[in-house]
Amino acid sequence: MSTDIMIESDLDISQLVDKPWVTIVWDDPVNLMSYVTYVFIKLFGFSSEKANALMMQVHNEGRAAVSTGSREEMERDVQRLHEHGLWATLQRDDKN
Amino acid sequence: MSEFLRAGDVYSLDLSIDEAHILINLVEQLLELLGEGDFNHHYDESDPFAQLMSQLKAAPEEITVPEDPVLLRLLPNAYADPEAAADFRRYTEPTLRGKKQRALKEVRAALEIIVDEDRAGVIEDLDSEIWLMTINDLRLALSVRLEINPDSFDIFEALSDDDPQKAIYAVYFWLGWLQTSLLNLLTDG
Repeated sequence: MSTDIMIESDLDISQLVDKPWVTIVWDDPVNLMSYVTYVFIKLFGFSSEKANALMMQVHNEGRAAVSTGSREEMERDVQRLHEHGLWATLQRDDKN
Repeated sequence: MSEFLRAGDVYSLDLSIDEAHILINLVEQLLELLGEGDFNHHYDESDPFAQLMSQLKAAPEEITVPEDPVLLRLLPNAYADPEAAADFRRYTEPTLRGKKQRALKEVRAALEIIVDEDRAGVIEDLDSEIWLMTINDLRLALSVRLEINPDSFDIFEALSDDDPQKAIYAVYFWLGWLQTSLLNLLTDG
């Protein structure tokens, strides 16, 4: 019993410390570039420079990581992006 | 052509009666597709746009990945892994669907006043975020039906003027123009 609890507790700590999840926004041919930039500023509080750079990364490379954090945080971000019609998914951050 | 207007923090939209009809038709079809069809809709079945979004109306009993490609675009999978996507959808899709329905209903209520009085009119003091997201959802929905890709502008431009697809593309293009006029106001100080 106590072993299980310790394993769960370890997982939670590693999620908080390592921030192992990432929200990806994917390119689509419909959403206006100005709209994508606007949504990034609105949802994440980015400067217009950062929001524009991420939008261009989505446009040119087909995808961009827009946020990292716990799985729960990324699920919330994906949900908010879906509310705004952006095509977003979350996944483990492979770079770590 | 109509556009959004702004005075301080107050936004409004000046619409011709034809534009109001096109918008309310699209909004009502999308509401029905999202499973919220409890109203007397303004389009009739002979409307050239009537069948755009009404291909798969029956909502399944349980929450699964939508079969209709418009619904899948508006309510997309959050994970590449099908099992994780299905789990996430089960507990989040009703919220997402409900927010889109509420936004569409608010837009519909404003349009209904103009359409029922059958005159051009100004929608005063509208919720700019609701309208921005709803116009975007309408564009997304039409884009699926039109199979929009980066070359679409040239493809549709080359169609003959009596091709119904060209008229639908014209509405899609107009919605992008309308959305841009609102975005310009929202980002201008």
